[in-house]
Amino acid sequence: MSTVRFAGVSRRFLEITALHPTDLEVRDGEFLTLLGPSGSGKTTLLTICAGYLPPSGGRLFVGGRDVTDLAPRHRNIGMVFQNYALFPHMTVFENVAYGLRVRRVAAQELARRVGEALRMVQLDGFADRPVPMLSGGQQQRVALARAMVIEPDILLMDEPLGALDRQLRKEVQLEIRRMHVARPRTTIYVTHDQEEALVMSDRIAVMRAGRIVQAGSGRDLYERPADAFVARFLGESNLVAGTVQSLGDGRAVLAAPGIARPIAGRAAPGLAAGARAAALIRPEALRPEAGGLSARIVERVYLGELAALRLVLEGGHELWCRCFSAAAPGEDKVEIGWDATAVSILPEVNEP
Amino acid sequence: MTGRGGIGLNLFAAAMAAFLVLPIAAVVPAAFSQSSFIRLPPEAWSLRWWHVFLADPSWRRALVKSIEVATWAAALSVVAGTAAALGIARLRGTARRLALALFVGPVVVPVIVLAVALYALARSTGMVGTTAGLVIAHTMLALPYVALNVGVSLGMLDPRLGLAAAGLGASPWRVFRTVTLPLIRPGVLGGAVFAFVTSFDEVVLSIFLAGPTVKTLPVRIWEEIRIEYTPVVAVAATVMIALALAAAGASRLFRRRAA
Repeated sequence: MSTVRFAGVSRRFLEITALHPTDLEVRDGEFLTLLGPSGSGKTTLLTICAGYLPPSGGRLFVGGRDVTDLAPRHRNIGMVFQNYALFPHMTVFENVAYGLRVRRVAAQELARRVGEALRMVQLDGFADRPVPMLSGGQQQRVALARAMVIEPDILLMDEPLGALDRQLRKEVQLEIRRMHVARPRTTIYVTHDQEEALVMSDRIAVMRAGRIVQAGSGRDLYERPADAFVARFLGESNLVAGTVQSLGDGRAVLAAPGIARPIAGRAAPGLAAGARAAALIRPEALRPEAGGLSARIVERVYLGELAALRLVLEGGHELWCRCFSAAAPGEDKVEIGWDATAVSILPEVNEP
Repeated sequence: MTGRGGIGLNLFAAAMAAFLVLPIAAVVPAAFSQSSFIRLPPEAWSLRWWHVFLADPSWRRALVKSIEVATWAAALSVVAGTAAALGIARLRGTARRLALALFVGPVVVPVIVLAVALYALARSTGMVGTTAGLVIAHTMLALPYVALNVGVSLGMLDPRLGLAAAGLGASPWRVFRTVTLPLIRPGVLGGAVFAFVTSFDEVVLSIFLAGPTVKTLPVRIWEEIRIEYTPVVAVAATVMIALALAAAGASRLFRRRAA
């Protein structure tokens, strides 16, 4: 059992609080992604989990055992660093074998397991190459093999795909996902890339300014974001500011100046009647509607199958709409509406 | 690079190089002179003074002692200097600046001041005229070169490599042995060569601390010159130049292999 539980874990650097007291539980075999902009505390949380950084407060439990004061080398973790941190003076084989040699695995068994790990990341035949001769993508795979071969209780990854180009990143994302599904292992993954988080994770914890704002499945976060920050961070979003007109039964109605029609939607927790709030209307929820709000298309972006349209409403509000290219309206004057079940009313957050 | 700066600049550079190298090179032909006096250029060539040098046990003893002291000083300063560099690399801010200043101290302080101080200390502990005394003094002088050299190598080392090794279960000593040391080896070897050469041609401290039976080559040269000025001194100097060049060559070789 390799559950990970952060209990009130916090971290200060001098006067700066990098991480407010945080509670988080990662289930056995779960792939959890910490998603947030730089400086949101996600790497701090990961580094504390690895044991490289002691927390200023709180305890950390792995499989029910308190490991807060345990040195990294006693934690049986597999860590993949941002720029891989491969040993440049060793071959691919020796890099992957390092953790096994430390564990005094016998030569035959060691060769077998290293070979298996290299096959898993599709690097068989590369065993004798010096690491600096490899491409970025290959180095990334070596780092992954080195972390996995020791059968770690927890796999930690700190933006491991950040240095790869877009095409390769997509391939490796799916590869990591496949490996995880084939052999589920408790994994904490740090990234600022929302798409990466959505592709790979069982669950995503969105972080902002040293706190977890919301944790849930990708779908949860996309469809029921806790606030405007999460909405903006995951997916494309139109946010319309206004005040809460009425509230009740999990629904809210927002009055937005400049929009003739009140906007109804699911109420996020933390709303108060009369308070400032924002309506989230996803671009794909907008659609042409006879008798709807009149708008003008001022920009059309062709994305292949889809098209993005920039609309300006009569009151001056600007909204992005996303629809199938084939279904995009021909003329520039349109009347639009939205699917009310896809709208959320969210508390405003002040951007840091 | 040839022709880049024009003839004037090249001539100037050549003149400067000659100014630096010629006086040193001049001693070499003097070692192969036939006459009993150093005269440049020599009137007749011979290996006469090489035979004198090799036949005289006091010269041979001095050469062997020099190599012995330099080897010990290099070994000790490599161990202590590498440890110091590792420690300094962990410091931050004022503590780091202070530690660095402390380690550069022996290089900045005039050698004669160091010599007087060490002589007083060595006398009260009975270490004047002992090999150990010379080794300790030379180690002091050589230590900063090792610490600085290794420090430069450490500065280029990605600190996450050590973290990665520790994360894979390695003890601090194993991390040092298998990751840190192999990667800072050029700095360590360069420092060792520096330390060896520093000890090998050190004369001020050595004059103070040498004794009748424990004498390094530079001390022996100095004694010889005070009595008579024969080409055997040039032979000793030539031997020193050859060893220093060999050491410099070795250090280049290490660096090339590391690159």
